[in-house]
Amino acid sequence: MRMESNWAAEHLQVIRTLMERSALYRRALAPVMIFNGCMGAIAAIIGWAAEIDSPSGFITYWAVIGLLAIGGSFFLVRRQALSASEPFWSPPTRRVTQAMLPPLIAGAIISVFVLVRLASFQRAAPQNPMFPAAVAMLWIPEAWIVLYGCAFHAAGFFMPRGMKLFGWAFILGGCALFAAGIPPARVSRLAFSHSVMGLFFGVFHLAYGIYLFYTEKRRDET
Amino acid sequence: MNPEPFLQLDRVIHEKGRLAIMSMLAATPELSFTEMRDTLNMTDGNLTTHIRTLQEAGYVSITKSFQNNRPLTTCSVTATGKKAFTNYINLLEQIIQQTRPK
Repeated sequence: MRMESNWAAEHLQVIRTLMERSALYRRALAPVMIFNGCMGAIAAIIGWAAEIDSPSGFITYWAVIGLLAIGGSFFLVRRQALSASEPFWSPPTRRVTQAMLPPLIAGAIISVFVLVRLASFQRAAPQNPMFPAAVAMLWIPEAWIVLYGCAFHAAGFFMPRGMKLFGWAFILGGCALFAAGIPPARVSRLAFSHSVMGLFFGVFHLAYGIYLFYTEKRRDET
Repeated sequence: MNPEPFLQLDRVIHEKGRLAIMSMLAATPELSFTEMRDTLNMTDGNLTTHIRTLQEAGYVSITKSFQNNRPLTTCSVTATGKKAFTNYINLLEQIIQQTRPK
């Protein structure tokens, strides 16, 4: 009798595990990607035009843009859930958020530390006044790009397969920027930093969003 | 112990492979053949056989289409299949309830 109960409980556990594993996140991602792409591209143009060139200004500016992008993405996802009469905070949404959080939080913590320590960087290397700017405007964007890629790669385990590739594009792109090192002196720091942010957080998102727009539409039609 | 719930278990769903397929399909509107094969670690032949059995029982429907010029086979659970699967889970819960110490 006890054995049958165990057997039934095991069966239920297997069913639960498989149901959780197959419940992929299937909200239409094209609007979210296009929104983030527009935000990234417009923010890069504004940042460049407004000459946000101070290390602390650069980090703060892009942190605010990041928060606005996250807020906007959640709003879009919530709107989709409401229009489909489905719960917003569904198990797949929860899993995707949980998967993305560690790299994103790591990026935020590193940025706060760099922001707080900018003055001490200057004191530590008085002979090199460009050091804080190099850290804040060259290495921090590269770290953001790599960590953002890690976040998408982790979320890709609960999303359609293309999301992992999107994550890899950021990881490899960010590493390539690290490998390329500091840009030549003729390239202005202002132009380089905002262009990198605009390329990855603007153009990459827009391109993937447009691709998803057509593929998701085709999937809905079949 | 009442043996009734055990005897009522749907034999089509009760097989390990088919139970796994039904569990996956119950949680999502549709799944592609490759997604199921990769998740369940089944061979193409094995998965095809199980899906055919489920289709013959009216539990699963199959859609064939093309994506990026490649054939795409997707499976989804039918209303009959959903009902049978819910019934199967209810029976499992009854078995657990019956044998739980009071």
